[in-house]
Amino acid sequence: MVRKTVFIDFSKCIECRACEVACEREHNGMSFISVFEWQEMAAMALNCRHCEKAPCVEVCPTNALYRDEDGAVLLAPQKCIGCLMCGIVCPFGIPELDLINKVMGKCDLCAHRRAEGKLPACVETCPTDALLYGEFNEIIRKRREKFTEKTIELAKTGENIQLTGV
Amino acid sequence: MSERLVPVVCPYCGVGCRLYVRSVDGYPVGIEYANDIPNISNEFGKLCPKGNAVVEYLLAKDRLKKPLKATEQGKFVEISWSEAIKEIAERLKAYAKDDPNQLMFFGSARTFNEPNYLIQKLARMLGTNNVDHCARLCHAPTVSGLKAVFGAGAMTNTYKDIEEANVIFIIGHNYAETHPVGFRYVLKAKERGAKVIVADPRFTRTAWFADIYLQHYPGSDIALINGLIHVIIKEKLYDERFVRERCVGFDEVVSAVEKFTPEFVEKVTGVPAELIVEAARTFATAGKGVITWAMGLTQHTHGHDNVRLLGTLSAICGYQGKEGAGCAPMRGQNNVQGACDMAALPNVFPGYQAVTDPEKRKFFEEFWGVELSGEVGLTTIEAAYAADKGKVKAYYVMGENPVISEANANHVMHTLEKLEFLVVQDIVPTPTIEFADIVLPAAAMLENDGSITNTERRVQWSFQAAKPPGEARPDWWIISEIGKAIGFDKTGSRGFVYGDAADVLREINACTPQYRGITPERLKENLAGIHWPCPSEDHPGTRVLYKEKFLTPDGKAHLAAIPEYRGPVEMPDEEYPFLLTTHRYVGMYHTVTMTMRSDALKKRWPEPLAEIHPEDAEKLGIKSGDWIKIETRRGTYPSKAKVTRTVKKGVIAVPWHWGANVLTNDALDPVAKIPETKACACRIVKITEEDAKRLIEKLPSVIPKLDVVRG
Ligand code: SF4
Ligand code: SF4
Ligand code: SF4
Repeated sequence: MVRKTVFIDFSKCIECRACEVACEREHNGMSFISVFEWQEMAAMALNCRHCEKAPCVEVCPTNALYRDEDGAVLLAPQKCIGCLMCGIVCPFGIPELDLINKVMGKCDLCAHRRAEGKLPACVETCPTDALLYGEFNEIIRKRREKFTEKTIELAKTGENIQLTGV
Repeated sequence: MSERLVPVVCPYCGVGCRLYVRSVDGYPVGIEYANDIPNISNEFGKLCPKGNAVVEYLLAKDRLKKPLKATEQGKFVEISWSEAIKEIAERLKAYAKDDPNQLMFFGSARTFNEPNYLIQKLARMLGTNNVDHCARLCHAPTVSGLKAVFGAGAMTNTYKDIEEANVIFIIGHNYAETHPVGFRYVLKAKERGAKVIVADPRFTRTAWFADIYLQHYPGSDIALINGLIHVIIKEKLYDERFVRERCVGFDEVVSAVEKFTPEFVEKVTGVPAELIVEAARTFATAGKGVITWAMGLTQHTHGHDNVRLLGTLSAICGYQGKEGAGCAPMRGQNNVQGACDMAALPNVFPGYQAVTDPEKRKFFEEFWGVELSGEVGLTTIEAAYAADKGKVKAYYVMGENPVISEANANHVMHTLEKLEFLVVQDIVPTPTIEFADIVLPAAAMLENDGSITNTERRVQWSFQAAKPPGEARPDWWIISEIGKAIGFDKTGSRGFVYGDAADVLREINACTPQYRGITPERLKENLAGIHWPCPSEDHPGTRVLYKEKFLTPDGKAHLAAIPEYRGPVEMPDEEYPFLLTTHRYVGMYHTVTMTMRSDALKKRWPEPLAEIHPEDAEKLGIKSGDWIKIETRRGTYPSKAKVTRTVKKGVIAVPWHWGANVLTNDALDPVAKIPETKACACRIVKITEEDAKRLIEKLPSVIPKLDVVRG
C-alpha cells in the first residue's frame, strides 16, 4: 500500500499557524497539527505521522483506529470508548480527547477533502510550502533530484548557492 | 437550500489573496482555497491564518445591525435609516454653509474603492478637501517619498518581480509575519539562489531567513541607507549608464554620503562596518534587486527621507524599469493603495491629480458640477489638533478606529470628546464609537461587492458572499443616500444616484486616468484582476512601471541627497532610558476589531507581549510572563513581558494592536505628516497583576460593549 502523509520542511516554516487555523476549521474547532517554536525563532509543525507500524492502531482495544485506502490512520468515533490508550502509546502524543464527546480525535488527513480529490487543508494553505503531502519515497526522490540539480548548477557557476528549502 | 462558492478577496492585508466563501442561503459556512484561478497574487490559493478564519468575524454576535443615536457618551438608542440619514445630511449641510472646513472626513483602507471615491466626492462637493484615511499612519511617506524620486507613489513592480529578483533587501518590515503569503515570493527567489538582506531592529522571523542581517537601532535608517550608498559609490558598483541617462542629482548624492563611511555608520546604527560593506556589495552586484519596506521604515519623522533614499539606492543600482527589480512597499491593509488612488487624501483628486492645479480642478468642477476648493485639506493628525482648537467641529468616520490606530491615542480621545458632531460607520462596535453621535451599521466587505486594489496595483473585484446582518448596508449605499439627502440628487457624475457599486466604478473609470480601462465588466470576468495603469479597455494592464521614463516632469529619477542624519525626535535619556518600538502579530490585524472576534485567532494570539532583552530584564528583575508597566511622556500601558534575544539591548518592542498607541509619539514628518509611531523613549517597571488590572481599566477597551436602550 502507498502510504501518504503530511511532511514538514521546517527550514521553510514561518510559524504563521495558518495550518492550525485551517485544520481547526475543517475539524469542528479542534486542530490536529500544532506549531512549536523549538528554539528562539525556529519553528516546526507537528502532526500525525500515520506511522507504518502505528502503535495507536495496535493498541486500540475496540479497533476504532484503522487505515483507509491512502494509508491514513483514521478513528471511527462510534467505536471509540475514550480509554486514552492511543494517546499514551503515540510517541508524539497525537490523539487527543475531545472533551465534549469524550472520544478521541486525530488527524485524518482531511478524509472529507481527499474524497473530493483535494489536498489536506493544512497543506493546501501553507503559504511557504513547508508542508508537503505525499508518499515518503516520492518526496525523498524529488528532494534528491532538486538537490542534484542545484549542485550541478553550483559546480557550473562556482557561486555560493543556498540550499534552503531544497 | 442553495450552496454557493463565491470568489472574494481576503478582507485583511494588502497581499489581496483570493478565496471562495461557501455560503448556504446567504449564510457563510466555510471557505475553499482558490487553487483554480491562474495568476492571482496568492498562488495555488494559499492563505495565512487570518484568511483561513474570515468567516468567523462575519458571524460575530455584536455586529451593528441598526443605526444608533447617542443619548449620552457611550449610550445609544436605535433609530431608523431615514432618521439617521436626514439628521446627518442636515448637520453636514449646516456646517458646510457656515464654513466647509469645519468638516473632516475619514475614508477607509479597509473598504472598497467605490465608497472611498464617494466619501471624497462628498467632502469635495461640500466644499472642503479635509479628507484623509489611515494610510496617513502607515504609508504616507511611501506615497510622498516615491513621488519625489520617481513621480508616483505606488509599488513600481509586482510579486512576480520579487520572485525573479537576485537580491531582496527587506528593511523595517517583518515580511514573514505581516504578509505571509507575499513572503512566499521571497522564499521562492531564495530557493532560486537569490540573496536576502534584512535590516530590522528586531531579529524577526524574516531575519531568520536572511543571508545578511543588519540589526540597526530604531530610527537610524538614514545613516544605514546612506552608508550602503556610500560603499556602492566608493567601490563604483553603481549602474553608470542608468545614472547618466535616467537620473538627476547624482553629484549631490556623492557629496551627501561622503561622511557616511562604514565606520561612522557603525557608530550610529550599531551594525558592524564589515556587514555594511558586504550588504552594499551584495545588493549592487546582483544584477536584479528589489527593495521592500513597511512601517518600520515609514513611521518616523524622517519617513519621507527614508523612502527617498531607498528610491535613490534602487535607482543608482539601475534596479528600475525592468523585470525582477524595483521598489515594493508592502501595504498593511487590503485597500490602502485603492483608497489613495481614489483620493481619500487632502491634496489630490482621484488619480493623484493635485487639488492645487487649476486645470485639474476645472475638470472636476465640470465633472461634479460644483465649485471646488483649491486649498489643501487637513491630514488625520492635523485634524485632531484643529479639532482641539475648535476649528474642526464634525468628523465623518467611515470604517476607521482612530482611538486605537492613531499615535498618542490619549490626545485623540481628548479631541473626539470635544467634537460637536461625530458619525461613525462600521461593522462592529469599536472604541471610537463610544464618542459618536450617530453610528451607522455597515455591511462587511464580504457582504457586498466592489473593486479593491492590492499592494501591487492589482485591481480585483470581490463578489457578495453573504447577507449583511439586520439593517446593515453597503458603504457605497450609505454615502450615496447621504449625498442625495444633502441635495446632490442629479443623475450621472453630478449627483449621488447609483444603482450599484459597478455604477460608481464606471464613474471612476471616467475621471481617473490610471483606471480608465478597468471597467466592472472586465474585472468580473477576469478574477486575477488588472494592474493599473490601464489607460484603455483593450489595455492588458502594467506590470513594471517606468520602463522608458519616470513620471517626474522631466522624466528622470530625482535622486535624494540627505547629508544630515536624524534619529528619532525623542531619544532615551535618564528619565526614560529605553527606546520603544511597535510591531504586529501574524494572526492579529489592525485594531483587532475583526481578528479578536475570531475564536481561532483570539486563542492563538490572546494578548500583547512586550519583548525585552535578557540583560535589561535581569537588571530590572523581570522574567517572561511578569507584568510590566511601560511609561512614556504621553501615557501608561501595562503588558506582560517576554524576555528574548530578538530585540537589541535598550529596546522594548510591543505589538500595537491592543492600544499601545497611548504611548507613542505623534511628532510629525514635515512632508508626509506621518507620526513617529515606531520610536520613542520609555521607562519600565515591574508591577503586580492587580496593578496591571487597574491600569487596563483606564485604557479604552478594544472590544467595547455597546449600551443600547430601545427608544
Ligand atoms: S497517532 Fe501517533 S502513533 Fe498513531 S499514526 Fe499518528 S503519529 Fe503514529
Ligand atoms: S502553515 Fe506552513 S509556514 Fe505556517 S505554521 Fe504551518 S507549516 Fe509553518
Ligand atoms: S496574506 Fe493577507 S490577503 Fe492573504 S490571506 Fe493573509 S491576510 Fe489575507
